[in-house]
Amino acid sequence: MDKLKVLVIEDTPAESDRLLAVLHANNFEVVGVAASFKDAMALYYSATPDIAIVDIFLNGNPEGITFAEAISAVPGAVKPFIFLTSSNDRQIFERAKLTHPFSFLLKPFNELEVLYAIEMAIEKFYGQHEVTEEETNATVSPEYLFIKKNKSLKKVAIADIVYIEVEERYCNVITQQEKFVVMISLNRIAEYLNPAVFFKTHRNFIINISHASEIIPSDNLILMQGGHKVTLSDKYKDFLKDTVIFK
Amino acid sequence: MYKIPLRIYLWCIAMCLPVIAFAQADTTLSLLNQTIKEKGRQYKQQPDFYKAHTFFLAKEWDSVMVYSMRQLEKNNSSEVEDYSRYFRATGFARKGLLDEALKEYAAISQQFDFYYKVRLSIGEILLEQNKFKLAIPYFKEIEALEDTPALGFKVSSVAHNLGLCYLHLGRFKEAEQCLFKGFKMQEKSKDTLALIGSYMDIATLYYEQYQDDKAIPNFIKAYELSKKVNDFALKQNAALNMAVVEENRENFTTALNYRKEYEAWRDSLNNRNKVWELAELEKKFAVAQKQKEVNQLISENKVKKAERDRLVYTSGILLVLIAVLIYFYRQKIKINRIIEAQKVKLNDLNAAKDRLFSIVSHDLRSSVSALKSSNAYLLQHYEQKEYEVLDEQLHNSSEIANSTYNLLDNLLNWALLQTKQAYFNMEALRLLPLLEQVAYNYTAIMHAKDIHFTIDVPARAVVFADRESLKLVLRNLLDNAIKYTAGGGLIKIDAAVKKDNKVQLSITDTGKGMTAEVIEEVLKESDVLINKKNGTGAGLGLQLCKSILLKNKGALAIESEPGKGTAMIITLQMPHKNG
Repeated sequence: MDKLKVLVIEDTPAESDRLLAVLHANNFEVVGVAASFKDAMALYYSATPDIAIVDIFLNGNPEGITFAEAISAVPGAVKPFIFLTSSNDRQIFERAKLTHPFSFLLKPFNELEVLYAIEMAIEKFYGQHEVTEEETNATVSPEYLFIKKNKSLKKVAIADIVYIEVEERYCNVITQQEKFVVMISLNRIAEYLNPAVFFKTHRNFIINISHASEIIPSDNLILMQGGHKVTLSDKYKDFLKDTVIFK
Repeated sequence: MYKIPLRIYLWCIAMCLPVIAFAQADTTLSLLNQTIKEKGRQYKQQPDFYKAHTFFLAKEWDSVMVYSMRQLEKNNSSEVEDYSRYFRATGFARKGLLDEALKEYAAISQQFDFYYKVRLSIGEILLEQNKFKLAIPYFKEIEALEDTPALGFKVSSVAHNLGLCYLHLGRFKEAEQCLFKGFKMQEKSKDTLALIGSYMDIATLYYEQYQDDKAIPNFIKAYELSKKVNDFALKQNAALNMAVVEENRENFTTALNYRKEYEAWRDSLNNRNKVWELAELEKKFAVAQKQKEVNQLISENKVKKAERDRLVYTSGILLVLIAVLIYFYRQKIKINRIIEAQKVKLNDLNAAKDRLFSIVSHDLRSSVSALKSSNAYLLQHYEQKEYEVLDEQLHNSSEIANSTYNLLDNLLNWALLQTKQAYFNMEALRLLPLLEQVAYNYTAIMHAKDIHFTIDVPARAVVFADRESLKLVLRNLLDNAIKYTAGGGLIKIDAAVKKDNKVQLSITDTGKGMTAEVIEEVLKESDVLINKKNGTGAGLGLQLCKSILLKNKGALAIESEPGKGTAMIITLQMPHKNG
């Protein structure tokens, strides 16, 4: 489980300090603080943040909006970003909205608002912002599984997942080092997993084949790295025919 | 010497007969008329001939002559030519143009169906022109024909006319023969008028020959018969004849009587004419009178109509005028009402502005001055190094700063809302995180006041509202709740889904509560900030909440009991299922 990398674009040190304190306190990794549009662009491409918090006004100009426009213009380059502003001015908001920000943060903000804004931005960016749906604590992206943990947000690389086990309404996500409980349906996760790597071996299990160390069909068992044992049911044995990974 | 006048009288008598013959001819023309009708139908494609025949039958002689002449100008078959000439000749004869008539009659060919008629007409015209010798052959020719009703004339009258010719020529024997022949035929047909003429002519015949004994009874017979008929001319002539006869017999008294009678008849004839004339005059006068009346009525009508029109126009104009007046009056009332409303609103807004100023000048000033004195106090104690009091004073300062900030924030938002400059975007929002975020700022103070705070809202609760303005409402309500709740009290936030796709959010405290009057005043619909005489910016906060909730299609309700606590109840929209 990794920290989320955050880029802060803010020209007022007092404000950025407050923001950094909140982020650090909640286990985010701040990859940099940019005070201008130029710095922001440089940092954005060098530090590869997971999310950017952008003050609309930099040095008295709405350069934050320019930044949003610049990163949105490059396909595949855009990451979730949050606008930070002290103004509830309609004109500024209307203009900012054209860049499709993933969240707004209105100054003065408190810790919870910052965390919630980040959470919303991630959800929205990966198209899972369905406020009317069941409560969930995770967002799936092609590379990461974002998991809410104590108000904060963590990410788990999809490739690190050894297997996922369904337990009632939850999923247990097991990596080589850790184990998380995720409130998300197995089918929902499965949608975002690479079908060449992840296979269903049982109605309650999805395994990452690259982490499998041994398959014992006679015992209906798969041995995973880290000593985990996964059940293989007859119904799902077919997948073995399609795979040629035998170490 | 009396014979000359007598002869003259006789001439008059004689002249009557051919005319009668014409009249008789008119009534017995049926065969001729029928034939003419047929010919008219036969030559229908010749409009002039057709018209001529129509007018001939209608006895409109002028028109007959016009159209027959037109027809004659064309190239016609001999039959059409003959008929046209016949029409024209008859027309001439009836109009008294005897020479012209004779010429036309003479031009008709012998093949003409009614050639005998032509001959008879020529004879009659010659008789009328006193060309007795010339007339005789014609009458003789006709007399030779058989007497049938189909001929359309009376042989008796032909004989009579022949007799007349002889009489005038002095050929008395032949005259006697012919007259008696006619007389006998007339007796047979009981033609009284013709008989009277015959009697008189026979009498004249004898009288001319001085056979008075034979003449006088005939005169008397004529006279007696004339009494029975209505013909004034006959009566007159009969009476005159008697007068002349008696005069010649030197019976002057009788003669005088006859002459008087004659004059009476003449006068009566004249009278009749006069009566006719008078009647005509009277009729004319009456017609003129009527016409006058009619004219008067017409002019009266015109005047009336003009008057009526004027009335209609006037009333129309008046109506329009009234309508316009009413319209303007109503407009004026409407405008007045608008002005009145605007005045009230302006007053309210002015009051709001005053309130704002009073808040700014009083509340804000006192807050900032408190902060100032607090800072001075802090500085003083800092310099004296009395650190133990600093902590409390700092907390105090921070609280003042917070409330001042809240006040300022409300003022700003209120101004933005009034001028519609605030960004407003309603969307689906998760209620719980929102409440947590708002409550987060108050955790410390609630902890300090030892207030037990709970949020009992399901994580799935979602509302449809503008995020920032809803936060502002929640902030204000929570702020109030904390402000009025004593230490150790309770503040609870819970939500319940209502019908009509609405969520009801209650913020309940155990504070000092509100009276019904205060609640009513708070909830009163107005743009004005309530004028709480003793209050601070709290009134502004609630007013702002109300306005914002209204804009979010929500509502604010208050349930409170003084001393027990207050429940601020917010109703909010839920997102539509499909959106």
